[in-house]
Amino acid sequence: MENSIISPRLRFATAVARMASWIVRTLNIGEGAALPGRVLLRIYPDAIKDLSRSLPTVLISGTNAKTTTTALCKEALSGSFSIVSNVTGANMEEGVAFSLASRDFSTGSKSLGVFEVDEAYLAVIGARMETRIIALLNLSRDQLDRVSETRMTSGKWRTFIGASPNIKVVANCDDPLVVYAAQVASEVLWVSAGLNFRQDARSCPVCGGEIEFLDSGWRCSCGFARPAPDVKVEGKKVIFGGKTINVDLLLPGQCNVANAAVALGISGLLNVDLDSAARRMSQMTEVAGRYKRVSIGGHSVRLLLSKNPAGWLEVFDMVGDDPSVVVGINSQIADGRDPSWLWDVPFEALRGKEVVAAGERAYDLSVRLHYADVAHRVMKDPLKAIVACHGDEVTFVGNYTSFQDLRKALGGSGSTTLNSVRRFGERIFR
Amino acid sequence: MTRVKVVSVFPELLGTYGDSGNALVVSKRLALRGFEVTLVEANLKSGVPNDGDFYLIGGGEDGPQARAAELLSADKPIEHALASGAALLAVCAGFQILGASFLGPDLQPRNGIGIFGCVTHRFEGPRSVGELIVAPPDDLGHMGLLTGYENHQGVTELLQGAKPLGAVVAGNGNNYGTKVDGAINGRALGTYMHGPVFARNPQLCDFFISLVLGSLEPIDDSELSAAHENLYSERIDQVIK
Repeated sequence: MENSIISPRLRFATAVARMASWIVRTLNIGEGAALPGRVLLRIYPDAIKDLSRSLPTVLISGTNAKTTTTALCKEALSGSFSIVSNVTGANMEEGVAFSLASRDFSTGSKSLGVFEVDEAYLAVIGARMETRIIALLNLSRDQLDRVSETRMTSGKWRTFIGASPNIKVVANCDDPLVVYAAQVASEVLWVSAGLNFRQDARSCPVCGGEIEFLDSGWRCSCGFARPAPDVKVEGKKVIFGGKTINVDLLLPGQCNVANAAVALGISGLLNVDLDSAARRMSQMTEVAGRYKRVSIGGHSVRLLLSKNPAGWLEVFDMVGDDPSVVVGINSQIADGRDPSWLWDVPFEALRGKEVVAAGERAYDLSVRLHYADVAHRVMKDPLKAIVACHGDEVTFVGNYTSFQDLRKALGGSGSTTLNSVRRFGERIFR
Repeated sequence: MTRVKVVSVFPELLGTYGDSGNALVVSKRLALRGFEVTLVEANLKSGVPNDGDFYLIGGGEDGPQARAAELLSADKPIEHALASGAALLAVCAGFQILGASFLGPDLQPRNGIGIFGCVTHRFEGPRSVGELIVAPPDDLGHMGLLTGYENHQGVTELLQGAKPLGAVVAGNGNNYGTKVDGAINGRALGTYMHGPVFARNPQLCDFFISLVLGSLEPIDDSELSAAHENLYSERIDQVIK
C-alpha cells in the first residue's frame, strides 16, 4: 500500500538514477551518489519530498563529525528502527535525494530517516522532509570558497529552526554559533560536546562583542551565554537525565565520545534504551574507512580524514605514538579550492615525527611545515609516501578527496591485497 | 641584535582565511636574518600596540570586520605606528576597513581608517572567488608576479591619486573590469590576495621587511627557498597555462 505513494514518473526517475549510479561505480569515477542524484532531481525535482513521505527524519549537521555522528546514531538506533540513511558523505541535495531512492517502503511505520546534511543545505533539505529532530554539532571555517562564513550559516540555521516549531533540536552548547541557531527552537536538548577550535567563536553572534571562555563555559557581556547542558561527557561516560552511561568506544579520540553523546541525546528523544544504544556504538571499528588500521606495504596504517583546522585539533589526539605521519592535501571542489586554512593548523605538534607532505597541494603544506619547523619530505602520491615511511605504525591524514583517492587506490574498502599496492611497494623497495 | 615587533592585528576578528600565517612568515624571515622578533597577537582585551614595526591584518566576516574598524578608529594605533616608520599589510576585509569607507553588516557605509585612498561597495553580482595573479609595478623592486587566492563580495574603487599594488593578470582583484588589485601608500600595502600572500610570495614579504629595515641579506636556507620556489611556480603554472 505504501508503495502507491510513488508515482510511475518517480519510479522511472529512481530507476534511471540507480542505473547511473551503477555506471559511476563500475567505471570507478565516484562514490555513486552525487551524479545519479542530480539525474534524479532533474527528472523529478520533488524527489526529496516525495521519497521521504511518512518517513520521520533526524538530520545531523555541522562543519565536522557529521559522517561519524550519523554512523554512530544509525548504530545506536538500529535495534529500534529500520533506518534510511545517506550513502557515505553524500550530504547535499543530490546525495540525499539519491540515498532516498533506495528506500524500502515495505518497512512501514518503524522506518526512520537519519541523514547527515551539509551545513549550507540544512534549511533547503530540512524543509522538504518530515524532519523531527535536528542535531547541530559545530561550526568553524571550512571550504570558504563554497560555504558561507560561519556567522552567515548560523543565521540561516536560526531562521529555519525559528520557523519550524515542530522540530526538536539536539545542540552542542559549547559552540556559541550553534547555540545562537538552536536557542530559537521550541525544544532543545543541550549536549556538552566540546569545542577545541575557538577561533571562529570569539566574536559574539548576538552583539559582536568578545565571548569569554572559562572552565565552566562561555559568556558575552551582552548576556549571551552557554546554556546548562542536559547531556555531559566525563571521560568514557556520558551523563544524561541523572543516568550514567558507559561509552567505551573502539573508535579513537575523545571527540568520538562527544559524538556518541550527541547520538545518545537523539536516542533519548526517540525513547531508545541508552545502555543498549551505547553498547552497539562501542563495537564500531570504522566509519566509511575512517579510523581503522590497514596494512600497507608492511606498515600498520591508521586512516584519518581531516579537512579543516577544527578537525585537525582532534587528529593530533589520535596520532598518538605513531612515529610516521603522511598528510594528503587536495584542493578539489569537495575540499575547498583554497588550502590557506593550513596556516590555522598548529602543525608544530608533529615535530619529531617522520612527516611526509602529500597530495595535490603538497607544496602548500611543505611551506607551512617549514614555518612550523617540522622536518618533512614531499611525495605527492600518498600511497607511495606511506610505503616509503620508516616507521612501522603510520597515521595517514587526508582531506576529503585525498582520503577518498587513497581508499580507491586501496580497493574501496581499504583492502590490502590489491596488486597496485604491491606494485608501488616493489618499485620503492627495489 | 636588533629587536623588532610584529603585530598580528585582531586575528580572532580578522583571521578567517589563514592570514595569520603572514605574521608567522614575516617573523621567521626576520629571525632567519638575525633579528630578535617579538610576535604580538593583538586581541580585543590587549588592544593594538602603537609601537610595532610590522602590522598584519587579515580577512574575516562582516560583523567582526566592523568591530575591528571601530576599535582601530578609537586610538588610531596603526596611524601612529605608520607615522613612526612601521609597515602594514592589510588583506581583504582588513584592506577594506583601512580605506576611506566600507560597508557594515547592515550594508550601510562606514568610515574606514583612511590609510588607503579607496572605497568599498557591495557587488550585487557573483562573489570574487579564485586564484588571483597580480603584476606589481617595477618600482616595487622587480618582484615578479604575485599569486594568491581571493574570496570577497565587496568591490573596492581606488580614489583619484591612489596607487594599486599591481595590475591583475588573472582573477578580479579590487573590482570587476578595473584589472587592478589592492593599494600601496608609503609603507602600507593592501591586497585581496590570501594564501597567505607572504607564504605564496616570499619576495613580497622581503620587500615588506625592507620598507622598514632597508636592504636585506638573502636567507641562507636552501630547503626553505626550494619549498617556496616549488609552490610559487606551481601556482603560476596552474593559473597561467
